[in-house]
Amino acid sequence: MGDAVAELVPVDSLDCSESLSPQVSSELQHSCISEIDGEVPAIIDPEVAKKACEDVLEKVKLMHTAVIDSEDQVDCSEMKNVSWTGSELTKGDIMHDARSAGVEISSGMPAKIEEEECLMDLNTVKTARRRQKNNSAKQSWLLRLFESKLFDISMAISYLYKSKEPGVQAYIGNRLFYFRNEDVDFYLPQLLNMYIHMDEDVGDAIKPYIVHRCRQSINFSLQCAWLLGAYSSDMHISTQRHSRGTKLRKLILSDELKPAVKKKELPPICSAVDTGLSPSKRTHQRSKSDATVSISLSSSLKRTASNPKVENEDEELSSSSESLERLFVSQPVRLAPEKEFIKSLMGIGKRLATMPTKEQKTQRLISELSLLNHKLPARVWLPTASFDHHVARVPHTQAVVLNSKDKAPYLIYVEVLECENFETSPVPVRIPETRIRSTRSVENLPECGITHEQRASSFTTVPNYDNDDEAWSVDDIGELQVELPEGHTNSCDNISQFSVDSITSQESKEPVFIAAGDIRRRLSEQLAHTPTTFRRDPEDPSAVALKEPWQEKVRRIREGSPYGHLPNWRLLSVIVKCGDDLRQELLAYQVLKQLQAIWEQERVPLWIKPYKILVISSDSGMIEPVVNAVSIHQVKKQSSLLLLDYFLQEHGNYTTEAFLTAQRNFVQSCAGYCLVCYLLQVKDRHNGNILLDSEGHIIHIDFGFILSSSPRNLGFETSAFKLTTEFVDVMGGLDGDMFNYYKMLMLQGLIAARKHMDRVVQIVEIMQQGSQLPCFHGSSTIRNLKERFHMSMTEEQLQMLVDQMVDGSMRSITTKLYDGFQYLTNGIM
Amino acid sequence: MAVLFSQSELHCGFICCREAVDSFFIGHYLYINNPAGEVNLEYLESKLESLDGEELMNIKDNINSLFQQCILALGEEHQIKVVNALQTLCALIRGVHQKNKSSSGFDIINMLMGFDKAELRMKNLMESLDSILCGEASESLKSLCLKLLLCLVTVTDNISQNTILEYVMINSIFEAILQILSDTPSRRVHGHDAVVLLALLVNYRKYESVNPYIVKLSIVDDETTLNGMGLVISQALAEYNRRYREKEEENQGGFFSTFTSMVGNMFIADADEKISVQTNEAILLALYEAVHLNRNFITVLAQSHPEIGLESPPVSLVPTTPTTPLGTTPPSLDIMGTTELPLDPNMQTSNLLITFLKYSSIVMQDTKDEHRLNSGKLCLIILTCIAEDQYANAFLHDDNINFRVNLHRMPMRHRKKAGDKNIPSRPLVCAVLDLMVEFIVTHMMKEFPMDLYLRCVQIVHKLICYQKKCRVRLHYTWRELWLAFISLLKFLMSNETGLLAKHNIFTLTLMVVNLFNMFITYGDTFLPTPSSYDELYYEIIRMHQVFDNLYSMVLRLSTNAGQWKEAASKVTHALVNVRAIINHFNPKIESYAALNHISQLAEEQVLEVVRSNYDTLTLKLQDGLDQYERYSEQPKEAAFFKELVRSISINVRKNVALNTLSQEVLLREFSTIS
Repeated sequence: MGDAVAELVPVDSLDCSESLSPQVSSELQHSCISEIDGEVPAIIDPEVAKKACEDVLEKVKLMHTAVIDSEDQVDCSEMKNVSWTGSELTKGDIMHDARSAGVEISSGMPAKIEEEECLMDLNTVKTARRRQKNNSAKQSWLLRLFESKLFDISMAISYLYKSKEPGVQAYIGNRLFYFRNEDVDFYLPQLLNMYIHMDEDVGDAIKPYIVHRCRQSINFSLQCAWLLGAYSSDMHISTQRHSRGTKLRKLILSDELKPAVKKKELPPICSAVDTGLSPSKRTHQRSKSDATVSISLSSSLKRTASNPKVENEDEELSSSSESLERLFVSQPVRLAPEKEFIKSLMGIGKRLATMPTKEQKTQRLISELSLLNHKLPARVWLPTASFDHHVARVPHTQAVVLNSKDKAPYLIYVEVLECENFETSPVPVRIPETRIRSTRSVENLPECGITHEQRASSFTTVPNYDNDDEAWSVDDIGELQVELPEGHTNSCDNISQFSVDSITSQESKEPVFIAAGDIRRRLSEQLAHTPTTFRRDPEDPSAVALKEPWQEKVRRIREGSPYGHLPNWRLLSVIVKCGDDLRQELLAYQVLKQLQAIWEQERVPLWIKPYKILVISSDSGMIEPVVNAVSIHQVKKQSSLLLLDYFLQEHGNYTTEAFLTAQRNFVQSCAGYCLVCYLLQVKDRHNGNILLDSEGHIIHIDFGFILSSSPRNLGFETSAFKLTTEFVDVMGGLDGDMFNYYKMLMLQGLIAARKHMDRVVQIVEIMQQGSQLPCFHGSSTIRNLKERFHMSMTEEQLQMLVDQMVDGSMRSITTKLYDGFQYLTNGIM
Repeated sequence: MAVLFSQSELHCGFICCREAVDSFFIGHYLYINNPAGEVNLEYLESKLESLDGEELMNIKDNINSLFQQCILALGEEHQIKVVNALQTLCALIRGVHQKNKSSSGFDIINMLMGFDKAELRMKNLMESLDSILCGEASESLKSLCLKLLLCLVTVTDNISQNTILEYVMINSIFEAILQILSDTPSRRVHGHDAVVLLALLVNYRKYESVNPYIVKLSIVDDETTLNGMGLVISQALAEYNRRYREKEEENQGGFFSTFTSMVGNMFIADADEKISVQTNEAILLALYEAVHLNRNFITVLAQSHPEIGLESPPVSLVPTTPTTPLGTTPPSLDIMGTTELPLDPNMQTSNLLITFLKYSSIVMQDTKDEHRLNSGKLCLIILTCIAEDQYANAFLHDDNINFRVNLHRMPMRHRKKAGDKNIPSRPLVCAVLDLMVEFIVTHMMKEFPMDLYLRCVQIVHKLICYQKKCRVRLHYTWRELWLAFISLLKFLMSNETGLLAKHNIFTLTLMVVNLFNMFITYGDTFLPTPSSYDELYYEIIRMHQVFDNLYSMVLRLSTNAGQWKEAASKVTHALVNVRAIINHFNPKIESYAALNHISQLAEEQVLEVVRSNYDTLTLKLQDGLDQYERYSEQPKEAAFFKELVRSISINVRKNVALNTLSQEVLLREFSTIS
């Protein structure tokens, strides 16, 4: 039977079977079969190669049905019962990894053992002979692990990286198709870095998955292209040009990886794919594999017949031809608009950098953006957003230049219209800037209100816009002649300040008297009522913009926007960085995200806020800004208060609920970031790099100096993390309960992080491949990182360590020195 | 050809017989159709002029057929024929008009085309022009088309009496104009002519009938087109500003050299008068029509682009051809054409509004001659429209849109020339207010420009109404405005007799006093700080003499049974609050001084007294302080615009020379084509 299957086996498996021993290969087939049976309904991306073989394997599956059913039952029922025994540790490699997979694994491990036993029993009949021959139990253990439901993406990446066995790598490459897209996306930098810098086998294992995803999604394509470019940049220029990464990048950017819709187009695409591969016997298999990919894809399309791309193709073409091709003519329309959009944002950043003063930068930014607005809406989107949308407008007057000495990072707000799928949904129709005026000025007229609503509802099919428009403006000409009534209506709401009585008495021509003192008082009261705004400072334009509460800003911008009336209107913001390498930031984001997940999993209430990073090249990118947060530097400069006093001012007195909540938030975030700073060795911690949000959390930003790098290598900041007396004061002093809570949180957090150390280290370790980033400077980066988890310490020892670190940081003169140094050199308080 | 031509010339010159005239036209007809031919347009024009009315009637059929031939020739492939035809048409239209200045428009139509055919002919003509303008024709040809149209439009002094334009109304070339404006390369070459043409067409029988160009202009919402239009206007204005500044600098250089020789005795005003650059009312009219008619155009005002002119190297501007139609050189550099702004860190960003404000500041400084006065008035009218517009106000007051606007300030003996560099970057409304203050303080002269003053104060009023309504707290040095108002009041009083003979000064006085009332009773809604409210009181108290005198004057006039009785009594009522403030605080200040044995109180001390005595002061709320009459062109301004359009027409006609594009240039160009 085994031989019969071997011939018909899916190509993916063929890769494995070739390099593995025949026994293993048959096992792998077996695993494939059970996998399919167990997971078919859940598969989002049909694993194409297997699909192609489905029918042939039908019989085999039937034979195994009983077995699998019992397997599943075991899996479910015995999951929680059996306790963990240490004996399995002898299995070495696998166990090590299983541990890193966390709680679920450790509780799931017994189930695995049970499962293993079942399988053993069942398989004995068929494979007893081969099993005996297979003296290495390791492979089968590995296989069991891979098969298991507990095998997660983190483990997959880890094995992909560590295993030297091409078969294993190829298997994992196939296995990638089974993970949720979002899960794999998190490790995209790792995958691509491996693709670029590791040996061919790893690359070949990863490539089919990448190509497949690129076909599916423009966004994924662009992200890949950007990351490939960025992570290839450290290579020598001559090798870079011919590297796999560069080739794949070119392939993606050539926009040939379109969703496979038409069969005719496919063969050339496949051959294009092949060019990136080494000419060997693999070529044959690969092309075969791709062919099956395409065939099964198209067949699955036929079967489901619900693929939006097929149905909407015509519509998309027509809609995009209107708004996009007009703007980005003569370029392939799939990737071009977004590329163009990002390019123009970067171009603005480059030009801003040449302006001497902040004021000029701001002016320039506003005018550049107003020009950009002319090209919007278009089929472009912010890659940092978490939902599908089209960018409709950039409210240019809201944009601000951020504080930076020589670069010109800037923050823009972006109005977007949420849609189901930015690739297929029609691009919104442009509404002229002045449209908002018509809605405002004629609000009172009922018939106009109706037309306005009609407009909103018929938005997607708006060819009648112009007629509508004509009606408006003709009215308008009439209006232009005599428009006295408006003045009257205005004055009514104007006097709202005065009581209604005064209006009536006004009508009765009785003189109204008011006290001058009242006017003066109202004036000062009203000004006092808006205390939370910062002063406008031409040298620090971002302070005011960032201080404004997000909801308030959204409301204000929505009011002023011609698109504001649309129900799917959303406001996003993004920091555009040009001339900065964000790869370290991305690494830090991944580590933070991982730590956040670990702490959540371990139920440690530490609070950190990883903010999204988009690496576009090795010297540009975008950052998702943290909303409702200003830097501690800005807080101190604008309020001239100690941090504690600022907390009291913003949140209320010591005993109020609001203050206590804010204080708790502060402590939890402080503990979280202290650990982050310690583990990642985050340096350059001055107050300009620490934000304070409206709920009291602190948020560290700017991870330009982590791991092995430190600013100018001055040897400053030797303490583990930044903990000033001001921070301690907010926590209620050294003897307070909150301070003890803080230390306890740190301990818990460290213990939890230690438990899952591999998940953290793995992220960093893979990115070290082929990297010239300063954070990997020296040879001991990873070793030192691992050491900071103190795997060998007991919990008591850890506690002491935490106490020591806190004490050290408190006493640290270097923190104070560093703040002083920053004040002198950068004017940061 | 040349022989034939000279023969016919001879014939026409000496024997004005029918055949001769016939042969003349036949000859002309011939060379329309001759690709290499040359048209002697001056001859044709003068020929037509030399004929008397009856003779002209006699050759009507010839003219008709020539006209017809020309229109047919417009569709020709040979471009030179088209050129000849266009030029001949120009000459015909001009010539016939010259001859029949007194006769009605219908006679002229009859003469040119014949009544029965006129509609068809004009339809064909306009369609041909439209297709040339919108087609792929060469730029010179398009330019000639626009010239013909400008020629057609300006052939009469009063545009509304130009009956032929009825056909231009029916057969609209509006779309062609828009297309020129929306396309960057064509806008660069023809933008100026197109905008002027549009401005003139909009003014054809504006008040009497429905002008389709008005309707169409008011509904344009294509941003590229509107921006193109804005850019043409902006460039023309910026060019004016640049040339003015150049002249000023020249003058100053000369001035300083003389300054060293003749110590002291200097008349800056005289030196200033020498600087005069021809203003461009046609462009200003276009700006007015766009702002007034098209609500979408308001956004264009704020559309940023790099500053044109000032910082750009003048070298690129000097060698532009001097033969452009209206005597102004359209700037050769065009920045908006490229989607990316050029990279020059020294280049300030600017926008149409800023350019316009600078232009206004130059134009308004001297109102002595008629042209300038009209230009200044039009500037103020445009500002009035802007000040009434909700969207315009929104960006004028937008705290995020800050600009440094270097307004031109008239050099005056009693004040130093403010350093340009010290102007802070502020919301644009501050520049508007500055401009108004500047005008108010610099035009208190015997020839009092009352109309301009009224408009000025109205603009301030409208802006403040917006601020009050929208609770905008503008950080503006309001004190400057108050002081300007107070000195205006002082001037009005001291020249009471002289002014009263010509103007009703009470309208202006009432408006100013009511603005004070706005500040006094609604100050809480728009003043930036409590101390600015105190300052207001301080200034009123400090200048109480002016208000006292004003009160006694209006009281005197309102008690006398004169023609000003009613007007003056309104002012007395309006003065209630100001007087209440003065009467309330003055005794308190005096007693404070007496108590502390100080003869002269410092400002801080007065403010202290003011602050501590608010509560015992009661004010009277005045009616309708925040209401204003919205600007409407008809009927009030109709006469002004009629006159303005007339003068623009004459000016444009003068400049659209027939040989705008010299024959040689055209021949060279088209010989290579054909």
